[in-house]
Amino acid sequence: MANTVIGSSIVIDGEISGDEDLVIQGTVKGKISLKESLYVEGSGVVEADIETQNVEIAGRVTGNIVASDKVELKTDCRVVGDIKAPRILIADGASFKGNVDMDMKER
Amino acid sequence: MATPKELSGSNDVNNTVVGPSILISGRLTGDEDLTVRGRVEGELTLSRTLIVEPSGVVKANVAVRNAIVSGVVVGNINATESVELTREGRMVGDIHAPRVIIVDGASFRGRVDMGDVEPGRLPSQRPVVARPAAPVTRPSAAPARPSAPPARPSAPPARPLIPVATPRPAPAPTVTTPARPASKPLPPPPPPRAEPRPVAPPVEPASAEPPTPFALGAGAKKKVVVKKKTR
Repeated sequence: MANTVIGSSIVIDGEISGDEDLVIQGTVKGKISLKESLYVEGSGVVEADIETQNVEIAGRVTGNIVASDKVELKTDCRVVGDIKAPRILIADGASFKGNVDMDMKER
Repeated sequence: MATPKELSGSNDVNNTVVGPSILISGRLTGDEDLTVRGRVEGELTLSRTLIVEPSGVVKANVAVRNAIVSGVVVGNINATESVELTREGRMVGDIHAPRVIIVDGASFRGRVDMGDVEPGRLPSQRPVVARPAAPVTRPSAAPARPSAPPARPSAPPARPLIPVATPRPAPAPTVTTPARPASKPLPPPPPPRAEPRPVAPPVEPASAEPPTPFALGAGAKKKVVVKKKTR
């Protein structure tokens, strides 16, 4: 799989869209829309609205998340924003502030 | 389980990759290498190297240290070190960089600005590039250099001795072999000097001939000595 990685020293201010997995170790501000999985690693900072199939967050995310499949908040992540997805996992140690909506009307 | 693997795997890859199906529009800044296989639009600022692969499209004003373009770039590139358009590279825009390399097969439309192109600078820069290359090509000769200087002084006395010590060819070759690389640096300077002068003599045969014998003589004597030693 071609894998897209946003390195730890990278700052993107704008919009990212695509059909493949995206790994964020750096900073992204704006909007992210993917048809695959998004991984926000421990060093990753996202201040953006996220629209993907899957999201796994170990870093910081500020913004609303809409996933068609699953959102996973891992230990030590910090998330502020609303989450809308059929499956939402919040691990012990994760910090989260916002609304959770597992009712997918679109389905 | 797969995720930690991917996460650890992506940590090993210590640079940023924009995959073929990814579109980034906006401003992108960073202090690491960036490989673009997808699309980046807007503004791109790096303190290191931008690599646009054949599938990559960059429509942006780019400010980087080095840029290697194998894909498509539409926009201006401002590089502090170099810009290289490879065989597959296509670019429309202006390039501002001290070093610009455009390879055969690349297509480019725009202006190139290498900054202050002073006659003194480029020659001085090229030797700098050549210096690292020279020691690489002469590592085998390098050990010969220290031994060579003693060989040169010993060589002149050898000239008179040659007729006397003609049976010495056996030890001589061992001396001559290090002397060849050592003597090579010497002959090269004379030939260039000698070449232009022979060119000059045809213009003024009478006046130019006297100096040429001196120059040729000095170089020729050494050459003759080397030949004798080698044989």
